[in-house]
Amino acid sequence: MTDMTEPRKAFASPVAAFRRNLQRARQGWLHLLLVPVALLWVSPLVWIILTSLKTRTEIFHPEAGVLPAVLRFENYPATLTVAPFGTYLLNSILVTGSIIAAQLVTITLAAYAFARLEFPLKRFFFAIFLLQVMFPIYATFLTNFVTLRDMGLVNTLPALIVPFIASGYGTFMLRQSFRQVPSELSDAARLDGCGHLAILWHVYLPLVKPTLVAFGIISVVVHWNDYMWPLLVTNSDSVRTLPIGLGLLAKADSGADWTRLMAGTMIVIAPLLLFFVIFQRRFVDSFMHTGVK
Amino acid sequence: MNPSNSNITRRRVLTAALAAPVISKMPWVISPARAGSTVNLQFMYPVGVSGDINTIITGMIADFNEQHPGIVVEAVYAGTYESTEQKVITDIGVGAPPALWLPINSALQTFLGVDALEDLTDVAKADDIYEDFIGGFLDTCISDGRLYGLSFQPSTPVLYYNKAALAEAGVEAAPETWDDLFETAQALTIRGGDTPSRWGLTVGGGWHDWIFEAFCRQNELLPWEGDKVLWDRPEAVEALQFWKAMVDVGCMAPSSTWQGSANDFMAGSTAMLYHSTGSLTNLRTSSSFDVGVAMMPKRKVWGASQGGGPIMIAKNQSDAHKEAAWTFARWMTSTDVQAEWGMATGYLAVRKSSWETKVMQDYLAKVPEARTALNQAEYSGAYLQVPAYARARDVIKSAIDRTLVGEIEPEAALTAAATDMNREIARVMRRQRG
Repeated sequence: MTDMTEPRKAFASPVAAFRRNLQRARQGWLHLLLVPVALLWVSPLVWIILTSLKTRTEIFHPEAGVLPAVLRFENYPATLTVAPFGTYLLNSILVTGSIIAAQLVTITLAAYAFARLEFPLKRFFFAIFLLQVMFPIYATFLTNFVTLRDMGLVNTLPALIVPFIASGYGTFMLRQSFRQVPSELSDAARLDGCGHLAILWHVYLPLVKPTLVAFGIISVVVHWNDYMWPLLVTNSDSVRTLPIGLGLLAKADSGADWTRLMAGTMIVIAPLLLFFVIFQRRFVDSFMHTGVK
Repeated sequence: MNPSNSNITRRRVLTAALAAPVISKMPWVISPARAGSTVNLQFMYPVGVSGDINTIITGMIADFNEQHPGIVVEAVYAGTYESTEQKVITDIGVGAPPALWLPINSALQTFLGVDALEDLTDVAKADDIYEDFIGGFLDTCISDGRLYGLSFQPSTPVLYYNKAALAEAGVEAAPETWDDLFETAQALTIRGGDTPSRWGLTVGGGWHDWIFEAFCRQNELLPWEGDKVLWDRPEAVEALQFWKAMVDVGCMAPSSTWQGSANDFMAGSTAMLYHSTGSLTNLRTSSSFDVGVAMMPKRKVWGASQGGGPIMIAKNQSDAHKEAAWTFARWMTSTDVQAEWGMATGYLAVRKSSWETKVMQDYLAKVPEARTALNQAEYSGAYLQVPAYARARDVIKSAIDRTLVGEIEPEAALTAAATDMNREIARVMRRQRG
């Protein structure tokens, strides 16, 4: 632990200040460790923001500094002219929101059934669920496409939602959590006259909140950033999502248009960032305060 | 650009087609213009180069729709060349192809393999396509003497060089032969530590197979035929040995990425760069020094491989749709539209007449570098049009990469790559037949 404080010595010249610093450093040694990690973690984001405010020549000019010479916000409006980002944003919110809402319902019910109910071929069905997790999504693109076409959904918003309303991965995660809930709790609830749904609602769900949150974060990020599937099943701007707009700025033939690409990236990730910042405490709390060990 | 232009065209098409003895084969050409009913077409395209291409294309299509009552073209952006191909193949697979699409020219055999392309030979012969299109460009859409598309956005690799760096090193002119290239690259390399602080030359990675094919052509070898690749020929081996020699003396970067190499050039970490003509605008406007553009140095002959893509028309659609699709493809490749398109993007205008327009002449006076690409176009041809070209690209890229990092000798690498790929092509063709 003492060698953790070593670097701090260099900054202290008067003895008193040194002592004070040492003391503070001892108390905050964890910060010493975590601050660089945090900086490292934040650095791509900072780079994105700085690049989005530069001019094109500035990015690769050997003499240009890390900071932009002048803060240029015109990359943002210039990015917005490339595609109807407003519509894309609305679609992204609708699609991701619907997917996560539907998933939470389906995985909860399915996981409860697999964890706590007995029915014929239960193991077999569960194995099939697990098998679905193992298939890469690209392997099912064509069959999903054909199904959606038969349903007449190609080039509509539901086409972006329907294939993802069930999740083998989420079901698996939640089933494992449900199994860790002591059965005494549900037995007690049953004695109090609760049915399956009431037990699920009053006993299980509050106890597996961390799992739900963890799954929610993963799912939201995945579907928010999904590119290939929306590109495949949609044709019109009115039903497309943010990553497709971003794709317009990453050019295959000629090198990326970095300034606007980074401005576009900010536009795409800003809603997610905002969402996480607002609900951060709630997310962390849900991990800390749980009765399940 | 103006409506009367296309009316004349249609009339010419009709007259010529009536006179031709092939009418029965092309019922859609002589079908009367369908006044009153609207034909809806989907056009799927990728966005490959910088500049606001999406805005430009959607603008062009809006112009077209305005000038052509009765036809409504829907612009469908489909990502990169790869994802466009995937999207179109999926739609073909379920029996509902888009009316037109814009793939990379190498995909010609892939689409012919699934019998998806309308044969345009007769209707093009009745028009001025064969006379006015630049020959090398049109060749990219021809298989067995039949035409399956109209070149729309051709590009070739060219040699970009940092004028300031050349002046500093006392090099007076851009290299013209492979030997010059070797010498210049050495003169421009600045050493320092394990890797040079400035490479003499970088070949844009990711598409280096495309550039390698240009080197083969400069050595008088077209490294593929309809159903096989010829990478094991001595000319190809010699080209790779040449690359390896430059890497070994430390004047050429052994590997790079497509975007990274352009960035390195703009940052001055490499003095010369093989990259697409499509990058011209981006490199010119984002570099802090004067950018020179030269034809790729020759060995025995000048040579270049053709990138970019043609507009193709689906076979599986009604005659009315085919006729409308042709009208659209013809308009997109018409003289003035091509001149504007080329200037806005850095792609090469496909028509000889486009290069003679007033606007184009003014542009060339202002940006003489753009002419280099045109001069080189004369020596360029289709790129890797074999079945399973995507796999072929992976195989040759891996062979080149392994050679340049010193894992394997050029000859052994190319022989193995050719054997593997030819086996794969035979397998794909057997499956298509069966």
